[in-house]
Amino acid sequence: MAADVHNSKVNWDIQNESLAPIDKLRIERSDSPTPGIVEGTEPGAAQEKAMFVHTQSFEDLTAETRDTVDGDQEVESCDLTKLSNDLSQLSTHLLGQEEEQGEAEEKGEDQKVEMFDESLASVTSQDSSPCGREDICDITSDAWRNQRKHVFVLSEAGKPIYSRYGTEEALSSTMGVMMALVSFVEADKNMIKSIHGDGYKVVFLRKSPLVLVSVARTRQSEQELSRELCYIYYQIVSLLTITQLNQIFERKQNYDLRRLLAGSEHLNDNLLKQLDRDPGFLLSAVTCVPLAVSTRDIITSSLQAAKAKNLVFSILLAGNQLVSLVRKKDQYLHPMDLHLLLNLVGSSSSFREGEGWTPICLPKFNPSGFFHAHISYLDSSSDLCLILISTSREDFFCLSDCKHRFLERLWRRNAFQNLLEALQTPTYPVDLVGIPELRHFVYKSKSSGLYTSPELPPTYLVDEEQERLMGLYQYLHGRIHNSRNPLRYIYHCGQRENLLAWVTSGFEMYLCFSPLGTKVLAMNTVTKLLKWIRKEEDRLFILSPQTY
Amino acid sequence: LSLQVMLVGDSGVGKTCLLVRFKDGAFLAGSFISTVGIDFRRPHLLTSSSLLLFQMWDTAGQERFRSVTHAYYRDAHALLLLYDVTNKSSFDNIQAWLTEIHEYAQQDVVLMLLGNKADATHERVVKREDGEKLAKEFGVPFMETSAKSGLNVELAFMAIAKELKHRSMKTPNEPKFRLHEYVNKEMKSSGCCKS
Repeated sequence: MAADVHNSKVNWDIQNESLAPIDKLRIERSDSPTPGIVEGTEPGAAQEKAMFVHTQSFEDLTAETRDTVDGDQEVESCDLTKLSNDLSQLSTHLLGQEEEQGEAEEKGEDQKVEMFDESLASVTSQDSSPCGREDICDITSDAWRNQRKHVFVLSEAGKPIYSRYGTEEALSSTMGVMMALVSFVEADKNMIKSIHGDGYKVVFLRKSPLVLVSVARTRQSEQELSRELCYIYYQIVSLLTITQLNQIFERKQNYDLRRLLAGSEHLNDNLLKQLDRDPGFLLSAVTCVPLAVSTRDIITSSLQAAKAKNLVFSILLAGNQLVSLVRKKDQYLHPMDLHLLLNLVGSSSSFREGEGWTPICLPKFNPSGFFHAHISYLDSSSDLCLILISTSREDFFCLSDCKHRFLERLWRRNAFQNLLEALQTPTYPVDLVGIPELRHFVYKSKSSGLYTSPELPPTYLVDEEQERLMGLYQYLHGRIHNSRNPLRYIYHCGQRENLLAWVTSGFEMYLCFSPLGTKVLAMNTVTKLLKWIRKEEDRLFILSPQTY
Repeated sequence: LSLQVMLVGDSGVGKTCLLVRFKDGAFLAGSFISTVGIDFRRPHLLTSSSLLLFQMWDTAGQERFRSVTHAYYRDAHALLLLYDVTNKSSFDNIQAWLTEIHEYAQQDVVLMLLGNKADATHERVVKREDGEKLAKEFGVPFMETSAKSGLNVELAFMAIAKELKHRSMKTPNEPKFRLHEYVNKEMKSSGCCKS
């Protein structure tokens, strides 16, 4: 059963070399792509410039890790003597736990050492863990305590701003304790990052003037959990801008931010739900509606034609899938910002009827300024939602006019009907790939920032199963992108399915096989799948993104 | 004839519900949907004499959206200012809203004060007389409405439409007086029908 992935690495490299012709340009968009292809030529890569800011799914956190690495070492050296007893006790405990988890087998170099390091780093802050835990117990019922993942947002004064479950009022003392932990550690010029307990993790994210805390019983890594907290932070920034946020707390430290955020709780709730379910959030990517090139081209050119002076982005969505996106020249959208827009549209039914007009900050684009978004559905029965983003507050009527021009053009060129027809089948079954053991996959083209994934097979249609599968992807994603020990591939054997995760400079893919699948099969599938995606790429991806 | 009407008031007083009741004759029961920014709708109303095209600005009551709302006050011909009769603070904030309206809206904007959720007799905390008193103080017409039962909803919009139509046709002579008169007359009659 030892799934030693490293043996197969040799295989691929040879294959790759032998396959690469002398004239490299020839294979740039080869029909049989191999995992060795370079970035920009993988299936789904845009032919010209991509429409998104190029991102690694970990940029926020790797940046942070780098910032804090020095801090960590400091802690380890100064606190080690003091805490040596507890430390060894706790880290052995943690190690044991990790090993128990091993229904799956992964191998990466120095993994054990790595784990040990992590537990060391996290346990340095352990002197405060018991109280944090007890306080949560004291406050409310078992049902509340047993939630899979709690998320709290508080101000630096310890005032509650958001809690995923339960009312903020009831939690004000708990949040006070959280703030006390944070400032206690900070008093020594240090930073609390996480507390690891029996079966749960408490992860802190410090984004002045806010403090975000996640208490999770999932298998997600600390890194993954703080990435989710990042999303929540950006969600709040997108409503207020960082400038306003800072001003408010500069003026009044104990300001109750809930007053300004009133009515936005469901945005955070929905975002957290999406984070548990949508692979796009995990991969910093979005998925497109499968659509014939000709139809998509007409839509894109119609969007292009309906331009206005201050218009920066025109985005057409179908549910949480992208239909088309047109941007101003030299302005790129960040996938995270698009996710926030998706979340805004997905969690507010108020855009259904009329035309919405709202200020929105796209924190990755510019955290200190507002854009103004015109949001409306193309017709009330479909999920087609048009978002027009302008820099001017006065632009409502101008954008409303853009929308009408766009619609008119679509009708004139018969694209609207075609689009509606295509939306009848917004997904595709995994059978199309032709590998019986393959149950599901997620494939992201790194250079275009787009991903594709078939519909979930019946086995995973129940909410719990869907979240379990996503949990496995999340787990693999966390392992493969571990900032201290990144891996290239992981083969994971579980009781109910086998998974393969593979990352190259060009793509990132996660495959889920039936438990009967073998490793060899999984490896062969990669090539076959890449070939299939290449064949379908013009339907599944947006290959030629446009500007106005 | 296109009439630009804007609905303003604290968050949760029922601006969207009032609009939906007027437009579709239905009540939005169930969960609370908060408007994001401004929601623009174009309902129309066919009266015996003409077709009225409304342009409705349904605004979000939350503080963080004030700056967008301000930008569109001056385009409005009429403003419906709502408070919730079951929520004292929404009533107390009316004064602040009026200050804002005077600052940003056009001088001759048609203004009407509405006490919504009048059907909720048990939870009521703002008396009808209090609303009337406040309205008198500021010289604006007033009525109590209910998006749930439909009480006075159409009347409120009709009164505004009549007033605006009247103005656009002739040179206005004491428009406020006429609106008050119309409202008082119609409200009594509709009151009789309801009871």
